[in-house]
Amino acid sequence: MGGLPTNRTVNGFAVVDPKIMYVAMRDGLFKSTDAGETWKRTGGELKNLAAVAINPKKPNEVYVATMDGKIYMSADAGMKWKKQQ
Amino acid sequence: MKRRLYLGVLIAVAFNPVLLFAAQGNYTTGGTGFEHVHALGIDADGRTLFLGAHTGLFRRENGGRSWQKVALPASASHLDVMAITPDPKNSKTIYIGAHEAGVLKSADGGVTWKEINSGLGGVDVHGIAIDPNDGKLHALVRDKGEGIYRSTNGGGKWIRVDDGPGGEVKGLYSVNISTGMGGIFLYAPTAEGLKRNPDCF
Repeated sequence: MGGLPTNRTVNGFAVVDPKIMYVAMRDGLFKSTDAGETWKRTGGELKNLAAVAINPKKPNEVYVATMDGKIYMSADAGMKWKKQQ
Repeated sequence: MKRRLYLGVLIAVAFNPVLLFAAQGNYTTGGTGFEHVHALGIDADGRTLFLGAHTGLFRRENGGRSWQKVALPASASHLDVMAITPDPKNSKTIYIGAHEAGVLKSADGGVTWKEINSGLGGVDVHGIAIDPNDGKLHALVRDKGEGIYRSTNGGGKWIRVDDGPGGEVKGLYSVNISTGMGGIFLYAPTAEGLKRNPDCF
């Protein structure tokens, strides 16, 4: 699990592939491409995340929700994000 | 002056779907409307985005921006929805886990719901995992009856199989990675980080 902030709460999780995983944390969004062995932060300045989901028909389409209910969507597997609400 | 105010309200409503709910009387809480968000889930067809929050369950269709509050059984009309688990092989089947109502299942794409708690030791459900291979379910119960429960018949009957990760667990997910022991892995986001364990208890 290298690369995730230590001793911090993980709020949300989503998986596709199944090696590609995302976790939603207060610190932001983190992505693994090796089934969780290593993680890198993605999603730029996104913070205070409560949940993450992947469109099963379009695996590059990723949604996150902040704890207070703002929704962001990425159409390119987490590189660029657009606020939806 | 009244006309200008009316126009302002119309513009505000047009650009804020939550205000639109309030205006329609469907949804009246303040701020973003959801209060504390716990979960997101997308149906197997990729058409419906579900959101679970302190204020209940919401849905949004086809990438649209307007949310509808989902009507849940009267006995649990104010659910704190902690988990959303769409069946990956059947877009009509959705499971949710709730703070005080256990597991609810919809077999019609989220239109109607029923509680499926037979065998659960408690009703504070924070996670539901579905095995993408055979549809086997694992539910994570906190507080009373804490542990992981398994169902092999779509939630018709649950059997406690493990103590679970313990502590403040935020969810439970089946990941299709073979353990080499006849099962796959369960992943659990927790207050102590992301944990995983083979599901062959």
